[in-house]
Amino acid sequence: MRKTSNGMGWLFTSPYILFGIIFFVIPIVWSFFLAFTDWNLISPEFNFVGIDNFIEAITSQSVQSAFVNTYKFLIIYVPIVMALSLTVAMVVNGLPKFKGFFLIGFFLPYLSSGVVTSLIVNGILSYNGPLNTFLREKLSFNIDWLGTPIAAVLIVSIMIAWKFAGYYGLILFSGLSGIEKEIYEAAAIDGASRWQTFWKITIPMLYPALYTVLILAIGVSFGIFTEVYQLTGGGPDFATNTWQMEIFTNAFTNLQAGYSSAIALIAAVVTFVSIYIVRKLIELWGRRNGWE
Amino acid sequence: MVGNRKNYLIRYVIATFLLLLMVYPFIYLVLNSFADWSQIDKKFIPSDFTLRSYEWLFAGGEAEIARPWIHAFFNSAIVSLGSTFLMMLIGVLAAFALSKLNFKGKNFINNFVMFHMFFPALILLIPTFLLIQNVGLYDTYLGLIIPKAVSLWAIFMYTNFFRAIPDTFIEAAKLDGANNLQILFKIILPMSKSITTVIFLFLFTERWTELLWDMIAVRSDEMLTLNVLISQMFGPYGGYPGPMYAASVLLTVPIIILFLFFSKKFQEGMQFTLK
Repeated sequence: MRKTSNGMGWLFTSPYILFGIIFFVIPIVWSFFLAFTDWNLISPEFNFVGIDNFIEAITSQSVQSAFVNTYKFLIIYVPIVMALSLTVAMVVNGLPKFKGFFLIGFFLPYLSSGVVTSLIVNGILSYNGPLNTFLREKLSFNIDWLGTPIAAVLIVSIMIAWKFAGYYGLILFSGLSGIEKEIYEAAAIDGASRWQTFWKITIPMLYPALYTVLILAIGVSFGIFTEVYQLTGGGPDFATNTWQMEIFTNAFTNLQAGYSSAIALIAAVVTFVSIYIVRKLIELWGRRNGWE
Repeated sequence: MVGNRKNYLIRYVIATFLLLLMVYPFIYLVLNSFADWSQIDKKFIPSDFTLRSYEWLFAGGEAEIARPWIHAFFNSAIVSLGSTFLMMLIGVLAAFALSKLNFKGKNFINNFVMFHMFFPALILLIPTFLLIQNVGLYDTYLGLIIPKAVSLWAIFMYTNFFRAIPDTFIEAAKLDGANNLQILFKIILPMSKSITTVIFLFLFTERWTELLWDMIAVRSDEMLTLNVLISQMFGPYGGYPGPMYAASVLLTVPIIILFLFFSKKFQEGMQFTLK
């Protein structure tokens, strides 16, 4: 049996504990305090304003857009990234050799910076960019991609799906390679179609890995910032505005630290509850199908 | 037999096509950084090349808005290495205590780590900024590094990995008179090379491409990280996309090289993390 070493335990965890107190516990308390003031981030003066910030936030059009958009991104981004990462995993799993090479290749987008991706996408989609030039020459029309609300949401979703597909694909691939070949052979002998094999064997056997990826992807859809900040600025007409954008803009552009803290508190509660509910729904879905 | 071979060939063709599609944005980026300026953002694949964008980037162009790109690159390196080192060190120390030591309050710390990990971090942004400002770390390297000195994920991953290392190694070392620090750094860490590679690469990448905090915590031009500098030049350099692409290559390529260099260890390490 290991002997008890109280001093050592606390000594080894002390750097983390110190950090946790300074950069976690204190900021939480502080942000509750700020949320009830009208402080502007600079002047030494501030007043307590009760729940005014929360009322202003709930009735603000841009906060409402951030709330709604989170679910738009969830509904659009999550299926895209699931389909893409599952494709990556299945394609690599079907190769007899060089699996590692392809996995590493597909992982590379994860190393990209959202700023750089935005630059590239902005270049490709601009009015004189290669895509619109192609569309004009061949089909004689062009699309104002980033100026069209639904297209902008779709583009940001695809950019983020592109970034994470290889990483999630790696997780799913590891799940796929754990499925015994005999099961597929038995299914083939029984005359199961590919479609049946996919839904009756691959998906159920892959459920634990799919669950992990789903949870990760949902987390990502609630924390979108860089691509939106860089590419669309939350527009057009608030179509791609997110919680992070809203908090950043109000605190550091409009210098409304109190108001922005209130938004952050609302965002945190909404995010936490939403993720909890979605998680339970996925678990329920898995149990109903008997996959767990 | 022949049918089988043909089948495999099709699979490789599909895999290669998909891979090219996925890395196309990188290809587009690199080609445009070398493209003749009349072709930038005009063709899917530029055909005429020049080094003008890089000359412009490093020597400053006719518009005389040259920016300290190299300086920003080193800022990024200092900040990313500093943060990543601290995240790993603090993570390793905490994980060792949580996995291999028995002490009063261990359960509490364990639960606290989990709570910290799943807590919505967006509440912390404004107070953390105020904290940094009040202790005089605003616009300094430490202000960029210290608030990013802990990764809950690193603690979590290391704790799980260390738990899988049998206690017999530790018992043996103790009999030889090794103390806890020696056990951690001489025995346990050398056994954790692959997981360390994975954690390092993930943390470094995340820190290297951070935008929000690096943008908030800094005011002066000399303190900008490369990612933030590119972000800020996005608009002003609108008329000069070539140098923007060159700067983006400067940001992207080193991290890809780093990753490819460690890719073998990375694959080994991922085997564990995915279990």
